[in-house]
This record gives sequence, C-alpha cells and structure tokens, in this order.
Amino acid sequence: MNDEAKGANLLGSTEAIQAAFRERGYITDRSIATAVFLALQLERPLLLEGEAGVGKTELAKVLAASLGTKLIRLQCYEGLDVNTAVYEWNYPRQMLEIRLLEAKGQAEHASAHDIFGPAFLIRRPLLQALEASADGEPPVLLIDEIDRADEEFEAYLLEILSDFQVTVPEIGTITAERPPRVILTSNRTREVHDALKRRCLYHWIDYPTAEKEYEIVLARVPGTPSKLAHAVVGFIHRLRGADLTKVPGIAETLDWAAALLALGANDLNAAVVDETLGVVLKYEEDIRLVRGDATKRYLAEVAAGS
Amino acid sequence: MRDPAIAATPRGEEINGRRLLGEAVLFGRELRNAGLAVDLGAAVDFGRALAIVDVGEREQVRAAGEAVFTRRRDDIDVYNAVFDRFWRARRGGWVDERITAEKRDETAAPDDTPGEAEPTPGDERLTADQDRSGIPIPSEGEDDAGPEDTPDALTISPDAYSKFETLRHRDFDRMTPAELRDAERLVDLLEPRLERRRTRRYELHAHGRRLAPRAMFRRNLGYGGNLLEWVWRRQIKRPRPLVVLCDISGSMERHSRLLLRFIQALSAASTVRTESFVFGTRLTRVTRLLRDKDRDRALLKISDAVTDWAGGTRIGESFRDFNLRWARRTLRSSGVVIVVSDGWDRGDPRLVAVETARLRRNCHRLVWLNPLAGTPGYQPLAAGMKAAFPFVDDFLPAGTVASLERLGEILAGVRTEDTRRGSEAAAHVRGLNGDADDAAPPADWPPKAARVPNPDPTMAQPLEPRK
Repeated sequence: MNDEAKGANLLGSTEAIQAAFRERGYITDRSIATAVFLALQLERPLLLEGEAGVGKTELAKVLAASLGTKLIRLQCYEGLDVNTAVYEWNYPRQMLEIRLLEAKGQAEHASAHDIFGPAFLIRRPLLQALEASADGEPPVLLIDEIDRADEEFEAYLLEILSDFQVTVPEIGTITAERPPRVILTSNRTREVHDALKRRCLYHWIDYPTAEKEYEIVLARVPGTPSKLAHAVVGFIHRLRGADLTKVPGIAETLDWAAALLALGANDLNAAVVDETLGVVLKYEEDIRLVRGDATKRYLAEVAAGS
Repeated sequence: MRDPAIAATPRGEEINGRRLLGEAVLFGRELRNAGLAVDLGAAVDFGRALAIVDVGEREQVRAAGEAVFTRRRDDIDVYNAVFDRFWRARRGGWVDERITAEKRDETAAPDDTPGEAEPTPGDERLTADQDRSGIPIPSEGEDDAGPEDTPDALTISPDAYSKFETLRHRDFDRMTPAELRDAERLVDLLEPRLERRRTRRYELHAHGRRLAPRAMFRRNLGYGGNLLEWVWRRQIKRPRPLVVLCDISGSMERHSRLLLRFIQALSAASTVRTESFVFGTRLTRVTRLLRDKDRDRALLKISDAVTDWAGGTRIGESFRDFNLRWARRTLRSSGVVIVVSDGWDRGDPRLVAVETARLRRNCHRLVWLNPLAGTPGYQPLAAGMKAAFPFVDDFLPAGTVASLERLGEILAGVRTEDTRRGSEAAAHVRGLNGDADDAAPPADWPPKAARVPNPDPTMAQPLEPRK
C-alpha cells in the first residue's frame, strides 16, 4: 500500500480528522482540526499553546494513533542539549572496541571509521524521528513543553525544523526521507522566540464549550451518569469564571469525574464537592476561596442554569 | 455561512491559484496594517492553505488563517476582527469576483446584486463592522516584532483622559539632565554586579569542579581508551532576570522614571532579561514600549498608554493582577522583583499582604524601594506599606543614586542571614485569614526586615549597612 495515499486517505479533510480523533476519545472543534489538517498537508510543524491541561500533549498522541504511526516524544527541560536530544556517541563501547582491536592485534590497521560508525551512535528522539520515516509512514514527533527548554536549544531546533536534517561530523548529514509530523507544545511560562514561531503553524487551544466538555467527559470517563457529567462540567465552567490562581483544565474535569465515580456519587452536593475539591483546585488559596459558601452558591447557579 | 454560488464551484478547479495567492497577500497586508507581524512566507502559506480547504466555509478559512498568521494568543482577537471585515468585504468568498459573478449569473441566485461584491469605501456594512469589532487595533506593525511581543496596554479607554492628566503625564517623559546622568550612572553601577544564577548548562573549564565524562572519553580515545587526560566542566552562570513594578502615582513618578530609565539602559546594553510594569489603579505592562530605540519616545509612549495617572494607587489589586496574569509568564522563580512605591494605598491592606506574600513566594528576592524610607525616623505606617512590609526581602530608600547603591549590593547577591523567607510569610497569612486584626501590628513588629539591631532609633532601619 502506498504510504502517501494512506496518510492522505486517513486524514484527508478536517471532517475526517474530527471523526478519527473522536473515535479515539478526543473531541475537537473545527478550528483545531483545520490547524492539524493544514500542518499535515503543508508539512509544517504545529505549535500548540494553551493553559495546562487542555489536551495539547494528548492531541499528539491521538494524531499518531490516527495515522497509525509511531509517536516520538521529546520532553524539554532547562539544559537540554544536543547530546540528550539528538545523538551521542557510545564512548564506553568505543573504548571496548579499541581494546578488542588491540587484543586482536589489528589496532594499527583500524581507522576512525571503525569506531565512529552507526553502530556506536546512540540515537536520541530527534534523530530517531528523522530516521524513522525511512521505513514507511513518517512518525509524529512531539516536542513537549518547549517553553521549559532554554534559548540555546530553541535556536538549535530552528535548524532541524526547517531542513529536517542533522549533521553528525563523523558520519555526515542525516536527512529525513519524509519530514516527521511535528507537534510542539508550550504552556507559555515564557514566550517562545519568534524565529521558531515563524516556522510553525500556530494554534491556541482554548477551554472547550460546556457541550464539548460534556462529550469529552462521557468519552473519557466511561460510565459517568449523564446527570453527574452535566453537574461536573457546569461546576467547572463556573469555576473558570471565578477569580482563581489556577483555573481547572480539562484534565482536572476528567480526574474529578473519575474521582466522583469512584466514590459512587450520582450528583454533586456541597459535601461531596468539599471533600473532593483537591482534585480540581491545586492551590490552597483557591480551595479556601471556593470551599463552603461559594460551593453552595455555585451549585445553586449551576442547578438554575441547567 | 456558505455562499450557494461558491458551493457550486468544484473545489480547487476553477479557482485560479494565482488569484488565491493575490487574495492571501492582500489579506496579509491588512493584518499587517492591523499590527500583526505578518511576513510574506505566511501569506504564501495561506495561499496554499486556501487551495486545500473549503473556501466557501467561513470557519475553515478563518481557522486556516489563524493557524498561519497568528503567533500568540493575543494576536487572535486582532486577527478575528480583521478577518471578519475582510470576509464580509469579500462577500463571504475568497475567490475572484468575476468567477463568482459568472457563477452567479449561471445559477441566478435571486438575492444577489453584482455591486455587492466590491464595497466602496463608504460602504455601510464595512463601517458598521469596524464599529462592531470594537477592538483597538495597534497602529504600528513593524516595531512589534520583538521576541516577546504581547501587545502592551491594549486596553485604552479614551474617556480616562482629561486636560489635567495630560498635563501631568507629560512630565513623565521629561527628564532633567541630572536625572539622566543618574540613570546612566545607576546602570554602570549595577549592571556588572547583578546576581547570577547557575543554569543547568555546563561549559568545559580548566578550573571546573566536575568531571566532564563525555568530553573526557572523547579526548582519550586517542590513547586507546586509557583515561590520561582529565577534562573538567562547570556550570554556566547567567544574571537573574529582573522584573520591576513601578508605582506611577503622583509623588512616585520621579522615582519610577529613574528605575524605568535604568531598566531601559540595562536591556539595551546587556543580556539581562527585564520586564517592566507600571501601576496606579491598575497594572500595565510596558516591557515592549520600553524597548523603543528612542528612549525618550519610549517613555512618551508609556505615558500615553497609561490611563490611570491621577487615580491614586491600588497596590493589592495591581499585585494580584501581576500574580494571576503575568507572574507565570515573566517571572520564573529565579527572578528578582523590584517594587518602587511609597506604599500609600487606597485599597484593602489585607489584599496587599496576601498578594505581596504570594509575589514573594514566586520570586527569588523581593526588593522594595521607598523614597520615604530615606527620611530619618521613618516607620512603614502607611496602610499598604505596613501590610506588605513583612514579606519584603530588602527594604530600601529610593531617593538618589547614592541611596540606590545599596540596591547594587542586593542585586549582586550580597546578603546577611536570610531568616524571613517562607515560613514567616506563611504564618503571617494564616494570621490574616484567621482572626484578622488589622489594628494590631504583626507579632514581630517592628519587623526583622532590617535584620541588624538598630542602635540609633531615630535612623530609618534599612539605611543601616549590613554585616
């Protein structure tokens, strides 16, 4: 089967992307699907920004699953360098090899090629992603939380993301046969540099509408009673409007629904909410603000609204 | 929103690629005029995108343009406003009018008049849209391409101006030669002394303290695997980022200006990452305004952007705004925060305390410059100052450059025993939230901020040199 055709057939339109994602429990709206569609068609990296817990990383996973291809993930952190992101030579093994050659009495005849060959190269995620497309469908490369990496690494990424090639001095240039599908995510703890953004398509993932989020809860936490799902989503949406240090994301909604399900709750009431508030709110100030009277007020509002 | 005429067009067949590109470039220019950093590459991408999405469907076209043209969240509102206008002006289609017109003739859509496709400048719908969008669109696009450009001061309410305020804010950008000299001297004084933070990156260095195994193996391959040469590395150090929060209400203006000048010169001259905010009744981010190469114009812009000149000070609300909206983006825990304020606050002192405590938890060091602190016998009795005082790491007078030399020492990381971080602040907040007793001073009053026993009670404590 022709790989090109396969990829195109699977996700050849925004509708197809939405359907394929939905099948895997990821409910998207039109604008996300369009951004993914364009990234695939134009073969451009896609930079996803959004608050924590809106499903940025999950999108990459679902995309890989939908395309039936491998997901290669690079988690960024400060100090991430070429040796941990791209490649490294396996020095201990090279040492052994030299000793071995010496023992065999071949050391004089050996050349640099014998120990700086592909066998001694440790492939880190970025190199893996470039090489993986050689055997079929290009993989999905997830560069997670790029804002945590420092500027030096960002600058290095520029080269890789525009040419999809890596130069290993001892071996030469390694070029991807077909560029991997790249998803970058950022939590905006700092602003990603413009030069990097220029090479990417950009999408800001917002919190979903209540209806969408309700669907997400049902898809992700199977067995949630409809009434409970409505109440949870309603309450969360009310919380997002409140003046909190950290408003809950979709991840918190799902955790909460799962927690309530585990507790056997069929509906929300003030006591249950107070008990489980720690699943939703992660700051003491926020919990203190919401617990008690505010909870009762929000519940009443949600009940009135639905 | 699908136009029947366009829906009848088989996608991508009759639509001339060059026409689409033309439209894309035109749209790109509109966005550029509206202040987005749009380059030709993005317009070309959009042209390509139009060829593969359904150009009759508004949401798809909108989302495609958003993916291609926007680069940050704050762009999205501006983008949507421009898109709305452009889309309506094009009568909901991204194809050439002639094609549409032909199609229209063929399908004879009943309610279409040919003239509608090209609105004249006086077109009512166009102006109506502009009014409706309601988003102040920044006027200059080119300057805005800085690396961290979130539009500053987007919320400008014209009603906030009055003659009096204009008079007052004009003072802000004018500096006496003496003040300029002071600011420059401050930079010379402070820049080389900024405290540096160890990063997680290493460099090879002969005097490093850690072995660099990777480089060492590499270098010793030539010796047949015997580790003869040892290679060392050390951590790279960088100056800590600085965030200044400047009070610009009446009496504070002059001092804030000095600090802003300082930040301005600092960010121009070095690699120190700086962020600046001004506050009166509300917080305004001025980092990018301050980057203007013309330093006087930068201050002028700031004074134009800020609307709360004569409104008094709300320290609590401003800090809260900073903590919620900006702290995560501009202040990773390694930063040093400098507040310039006299602590006269019209808001709730409890809010000031809570938010100052939070601010301090989020930064490496919180420095408070108060011009009044230089006067003999000063005690932080202003409500806001009193509330914030327990959480301040370093409390300094902010009169002249001479008194700011202490700031240099602090930024350079010279310090005495640091006993007040964390636990004490937490205890204080608990006290506030339990039985709040505003009248009684905190248990440790006068605070230990000075950290050195003060032999002369008539002197302001912070002036005392540290051991």
